[in-house]
Amino acid sequence: MKHLATPFSAAAGPRRASAGIAKIEVEGGAPPDSLRAFPHGNETMSDATVMLAAIEAGDTKAAGDLLVLVYDELRRLAACKLAHESPGQTLQPTALVHEAWLRLTGNENRTFKDREHFFRASAEAMRRILIDRARRKQAKRHGGDCRRVDFECCDVAAPAADDQLLAVNEALDRLALEHPVQAEVVKLRYFAGLTNEEAAEVMGVSVSTAKNYWAFSRAWLLHEIESTNH
Amino acid sequence: MNRDPNREIAIFTEALRVPPERREAFLKYMCNGDEPLRLKVEALLKAHDRAGNFLEEPPTESAE
Repeated sequence: MKHLATPFSAAAGPRRASAGIAKIEVEGGAPPDSLRAFPHGNETMSDATVMLAAIEAGDTKAAGDLLVLVYDELRRLAACKLAHESPGQTLQPTALVHEAWLRLTGNENRTFKDREHFFRASAEAMRRILIDRARRKQAKRHGGDCRRVDFECCDVAAPAADDQLLAVNEALDRLALEHPVQAEVVKLRYFAGLTNEEAAEVMGVSVSTAKNYWAFSRAWLLHEIESTNH
Repeated sequence: MNRDPNREIAIFTEALRVPPERREAFLKYMCNGDEPLRLKVEALLKAHDRAGNFLEEPPTESAE
């Protein structure tokens, strides 16, 4: 098997959280009831809830653990949905992120800080998932996996969309160096699918500021991508 | 060059509220001789004007 760098090679290793995520690794079918709901005040707390509390208490390792947990849940949800879709169908990251939120935290009666940590982790996780998939598909188109199933090479959806996604991702890294806060708006809006209002809440800025940052970032990224290509 | 990154954003944001025909004069005034800054913001405003739906549609996960 060709070994690809894992999406977490630069951050927390996936092994780190293996104990923590063991109980959500249920492929297919309905999740166990224990994952469905954690009523507020219930002593049974989900892993996500524990991690959110730890992050709030200043535990920096917990942020990495949460990212791994959210990443795995989003991947699992995506794989599960795509397995039931006909080829060419697409999934909205927004829907995935909100479903992951409900499944991992149990209900919507969470604190403001919980939402902030969760959506930041989701944006980063979703970004890694989408980029990883786009890279794999691009590699396939360039002949990587052709021997196995020739058909797949002809059937890879929307190469232009993948190319744009990868270009945006690279430009976003450069934006983050110059304007980290504005780059965060892009992650939350574009990758996690949050609205301006939600992104503003997560970032602790006014809605009009979030809109201004979004306008600036879109212009900056478009200019950057076009300059790079010419 | 060490430039305050927030200045680029502030001028860009303000310039969007200025009628297009007055933007050039506005930029000259705000950048006050800082030509690299003026050129950068001007390029960003042009990008903004042609951005259309860029990034407004979320990336989609599609079946492989």
